[in-house]
Amino acid sequence: MTVTSSPTPRTGDDHEVVTSTSSSLTRVLGILSLIGAVGLAIMGLIVSPADKVQRDSVRLLYVHVPVVTWMYVAVLFCSVASAMWLRKRTDGWDALAVASAEIGAVLVGLGLISGMVWGRPTWGVYWVWDARLTSTAILFVMLLGYLALRRYPGDAEARSRMSAVLGLLLVPNAAIVHKSVDWWRGLHQGATVKRLDATIEGSMLTTLFLGFVVAGVVCAWLLVHRFRVAWLEGRSERHHLDAALADRRADADPSAGIAVGGPS
Amino acid sequence: MSLSLLFLTLGMTDAGYVAAGWIATFGIIGAYAVATIRRGKRLSKIVPPEERRWS
Repeated sequence: MTVTSSPTPRTGDDHEVVTSTSSSLTRVLGILSLIGAVGLAIMGLIVSPADKVQRDSVRLLYVHVPVVTWMYVAVLFCSVASAMWLRKRTDGWDALAVASAEIGAVLVGLGLISGMVWGRPTWGVYWVWDARLTSTAILFVMLLGYLALRRYPGDAEARSRMSAVLGLLLVPNAAIVHKSVDWWRGLHQGATVKRLDATIEGSMLTTLFLGFVVAGVVCAWLLVHRFRVAWLEGRSERHHLDAALADRRADADPSAGIAVGGPS
Repeated sequence: MSLSLLFLTLGMTDAGYVAAGWIATFGIIGAYAVATIRRGKRLSKIVPPEERRWS
C-alpha cells in the first residue's frame, strides 16, 4: 500500500481536502472557546469582587475549580471508552480512551499547578501531603503511566488491552480524589458548590459557572482534535506496518512480486 | 493574552499568584492545543483523505 504525502490533495469537484484535524465543528468550538476565555478573564479578573477572607486570590477559583471538574469528566470518559473497547474492540473506542486520558493528564497537571499557586497565599504553603492533594498526585502518576503504556512498541492489540485495564482503574482513583475531603481531614476545603446549596453567590457564582461552561467547550474542542489525532496515529501505524510487510515480501521474492509465505 | 492577564492583575492583592495561576492555565491549555493541531496536520499528510472521515 502506498503512503500519500501530497500536502494539498484535491477532489474531483475542486473541494480542497482538509489536511488537518479541523472541521466546521472544531472551528465553531474554537471560536466559542476564544470568546469564552476572554469573557471569563473579564468576569474573573475585573467584574467579580474580591473575597472578604481570601481577597483577590479567590480569583484562582474561576480557573482551578472548572479545570478540576472537567478532569473528572475526562477520566470518566477514559474509563468508559476503555470498558467499551474491551467489549467492542473497535478503533474508535481506543482513540477516545487515549484522547480523554491525555486531556485528563493535562487537566490534572493544571489542577495541581493552579492549586499549588492558590495554596501559597491561602494556606501559606505550595504543597502539603493532604488527602486531596496526595490522591490527585497519584491520579496524575496513573495517567502518566497510562500514556507511557500507550507508547509501548509492541502489538497494538496487546497495548490497547493493557491500557484499557489501566483505564478502568482510573475511575476508582478519581472517586477517592473527589471524596477525600469528606473521608479525611486536611487543609483542602470541601465542595464550593454542592447540589443547589452554593457557598458563594452573585457575580462570583456567575463567573464560576461561566468557568465551567468555558472549560467544557475548550475540553470538547480539544477532545475532538485529540480523538482525530489518535485515529490518524492508528491509521499511520497500520500504513507503516503494511509498507514494511510489502518491502519484506519484495525483498524475499523481487521477481515474482507476490507474497511469500513460510520459510523456503 | 498572557500579558493582558498580567496587566489585569496589577494592583490586586496576591497579584503574582493570581497572574501565575491564570497564565499557567491559559498558557498550558493553549500550548497543548497548538501541539495537538500540529500533530494532526503532520499525520493528515501521511494518512489518505478517504480514511479521514471529517475531511
